[in-house]
Amino acid sequence: MEKSQYHAIGKTSIRKDGISKVTGHEIYTTDVVLPRMFHARVLRSSFPHATIKTIDTREAEKLGAVCITPRDVPNLRYAERIVTIPSKTFKDRQVLTHTPRHVGEAIAAVAAETEDLAEQALSLVRVEYERLPAVFDPFEAMKEGSPLLHRTILFGQDEIKVKNNIAASREIVEGDIEKGFKEAEIIFEETFETGRVYHAQMEPKSVVCQPEADGGITVWTTTQTIHNVRQLLGEIFNIPLSRVNVKKVALGGSFGSSIQMNSVVPIGVALALKARRPVKLVSSREEDMYDHCKYPSWIQLKLGAKRDGTLVAGHMKVIIDIGAHNTQAYPLLGCMAGWWVSLYRLPHLKFEGRAVYTNKVPACAMQGFGNPQVTFAVESMMDMLAERLEIDPIDLRLKNYVGLGETFWGQGPTVKSIIRSCGVEEMLRKGAELVGWKDKFKREKKEGVIRRGIGMARGFHTSGAGAPMAGEVIDYSGSIVKINEDGSVDFLTALMDLGGGTLDALAKIVAEELKVPLDKVGISPVDTRTTVYDVATHATRGIYCGGGALHKVTGQAKTKLLEFASRILQAPPHSLKMEVDEEAGQGMVYVDGVQGRRISVGEVAKTAQINNWGTIAAVDSLRQVSCPPCFMAYFIEVEVNTETGVIKPTKALAYADVGQVVNPDLARGQLFGGLYRGLGYALLEDTQYDEESGELTSGGWITDFKMLTANDLPEMDNIEVHFTDTYEPTGPFGAKGIGEAALNPVAAALANAVYNAIGVRFKKIPITPERVLEALKGMEKRND
Amino acid sequence: MKKQITLTVNGVKRELFVASNELLLNVLRDHLELTGAKYGCGIGECGSCTVLLDGEPILACLTLAMAVDGSDVVTIEGISGSDGRLHPVQESFLNHGAVQCGFCTPGLILTGKALLDENPQPTEGEIREYIRGNLCRCTGYTQIVKAIKDSSVKGKA
Ligand code: FES
Ligand code: FES
Repeated sequence: MEKSQYHAIGKTSIRKDGISKVTGHEIYTTDVVLPRMFHARVLRSSFPHATIKTIDTREAEKLGAVCITPRDVPNLRYAERIVTIPSKTFKDRQVLTHTPRHVGEAIAAVAAETEDLAEQALSLVRVEYERLPAVFDPFEAMKEGSPLLHRTILFGQDEIKVKNNIAASREIVEGDIEKGFKEAEIIFEETFETGRVYHAQMEPKSVVCQPEADGGITVWTTTQTIHNVRQLLGEIFNIPLSRVNVKKVALGGSFGSSIQMNSVVPIGVALALKARRPVKLVSSREEDMYDHCKYPSWIQLKLGAKRDGTLVAGHMKVIIDIGAHNTQAYPLLGCMAGWWVSLYRLPHLKFEGRAVYTNKVPACAMQGFGNPQVTFAVESMMDMLAERLEIDPIDLRLKNYVGLGETFWGQGPTVKSIIRSCGVEEMLRKGAELVGWKDKFKREKKEGVIRRGIGMARGFHTSGAGAPMAGEVIDYSGSIVKINEDGSVDFLTALMDLGGGTLDALAKIVAEELKVPLDKVGISPVDTRTTVYDVATHATRGIYCGGGALHKVTGQAKTKLLEFASRILQAPPHSLKMEVDEEAGQGMVYVDGVQGRRISVGEVAKTAQINNWGTIAAVDSLRQVSCPPCFMAYFIEVEVNTETGVIKPTKALAYADVGQVVNPDLARGQLFGGLYRGLGYALLEDTQYDEESGELTSGGWITDFKMLTANDLPEMDNIEVHFTDTYEPTGPFGAKGIGEAALNPVAAALANAVYNAIGVRFKKIPITPERVLEALKGMEKRND
Repeated sequence: MKKQITLTVNGVKRELFVASNELLLNVLRDHLELTGAKYGCGIGECGSCTVLLDGEPILACLTLAMAVDGSDVVTIEGISGSDGRLHPVQESFLNHGAVQCGFCTPGLILTGKALLDENPQPTEGEIREYIRGNLCRCTGYTQIVKAIKDSSVKGKA
């Protein structure tokens, strides 16, 4: 179909949850209130590593509080993230622990009539700790004789021993790197380091749990996956899934922080089951910061190339400091290999990755799942290589990128597929033209206090984790579509909207397929009982995978609709066509070429009802058999103040290949947001530890964690976003994802711009003013 | 010890019994069930709890209810017309795609409104300066700044 014929796809519309969000009526977990509801607080470890000798809750109970300790909760070990197949899942967590492994890990919890009373009760719980030696540095942690965090963990059903705190490791080889490096004419190697960023989603992780009379539970929580939360709760508390119902509520941002079942969820459930009252547990900001962070990385990268710039071999070694628990490090390492090898063709390569336990806050996915880390390293190296070869960095990229028709395995070695749409060349060439790259990009020393520079980087993310083969990652979605008797349509999906407008995109897919006006498509409020399985809104899969499944199911409902219409219009279904009639507010079915044979979707549905033919509805699931890359390029300009060390991003151009754009303004919003978080990642954000106390030096304060504010970004006219003219043949109406891609190359583009401005190559982010000044001082010394 | 206070909330006079340590945010959310003001940190760092106190944006999580006895409070629920017509800033947020997860939105809309009441034609720099205490993790602020700027232009026309 011609794109210009779309009436919903690619059209700007007011988001369906918009009015309720701007009027304050949208309900988030933190807003849920139930009759007779208790409020809960959690007792968290003050030490980075300890065993609990005694916990005394008697005084707290005297206040009327309900208390739980590790004795009161199921003691099985579980993994809070369950998108990997069970046999490849590492499990090392418990609802409450006798052996806290980081400051802030939950030991006990209380619930009481009011928050005040819960707080008082909490202060009366007495804990006797025995401190254990702790380790904070992953390289230390791997040494013989270092304190061991976990003696054993579960891998699938098997108990395995942990050696040297190594939680997971992976080695992936293609070709023969020895041979490859022999063929290379230039070989160089660098080490990169990226920070331990906090997600800082605005809604703190929360849960409300209502125990039901039949022994079941109903749960409202901050999550990206209601079905995985349901399945985990069923397993932990041994309740049949038919009695575990997780409600979908709006989520106040996530960025990966709620990709797993959060630790507060089973605690809230255990309290509610014991209290036999609904319980609400809202994390404080400090607790939230002690719950998860982004995976920090050390990446050692060796590349071999020919003099003409053709890459021939690569060797990447990665160390990830995962903190106290293994959230999903094994697939992370596979993905990091995948991000790397899917950026540029490397005939010979080797990847070695290790994930290491330390006594710090557990790391988990955060926008990009290892991709921003890898892209920072690779895209910095590409600039360095281009400089050595004295060629334009854009030409070097064009020469080597993995593109149309090539196999790529962005989501790791078991998720291989072929690229069928690719806007890389367009974004690099047009982007360069738009920013005036030829004039602005000069490799020359700049003078003065304020020095300006420009840099670029490219990257991608996969749309989901689908592939022809099943692999290690579960990835499919399902939907229910129902055509109402007035021609409006309901759809039910467990897919979450994290704020990006995923569900608006899905509504447009339904509207487009059934040719009904967009305002006649309703997004049903749902829960795990009323939906079929959807793995999660993660991996940039919402539109492509969730939307793909919904597109399939809508097609099935359409088949039924046309069959009923054919009875009424007395023409075979395959002679029928559909079009939207915005004036009538209806989708119309008509016999192609025959005047007067036209009926609205509403009339078909109503006739079907009156004649007892049944409801026009369908339900099904879909696994996509590829995960097309959404490509991304950034061109960033900076001013570096050589006296204060402050880097000011002054201009940015984002160019994205998302296939067919579904929500134009919301897709732009994804790019603005990705740019903002990417700049924070590059310039400022990190969490650091006091190694004596094991506490965060920010103390759990956002202010001391430091984030960019509205004041620290380029002015609105200095940020441009563009979309390539591409169409993904396997996507719903040509669409693929965008979310994570929008952030992945930002840090590299920024670091490349800083190099262009002051001649300092930062291989460690964030590039704080202190680091800039230190580096400039170092440079002066060398020049003396 | 509870004490009686009077607040005018969104134009309606309310007699309330509050404890001496009770925060305005809790009074609004728990007593009056106005959950538009959000709890994002509880310690004055994020701006999600912003409401207007006698027209000025304040952080309800840092404000003792007793201390504002007799004041006029406007929350996000109180700025659209009684016929349901949205306030121009609300309208503008929707038209500019300035809403993503929406958790920061009530606070930012009220802050934007307060700015425009004070300074109907702010420059971009003034807008950025004024809203910098309101954190938004989703949008990167660009569309929010545009939304506020554009509603100021519209307001004048
Ligand atoms: S909740 Fe008041 S400033 Fe964050
Ligand atoms: S829209 Fe999510 S925090 Fe602003």
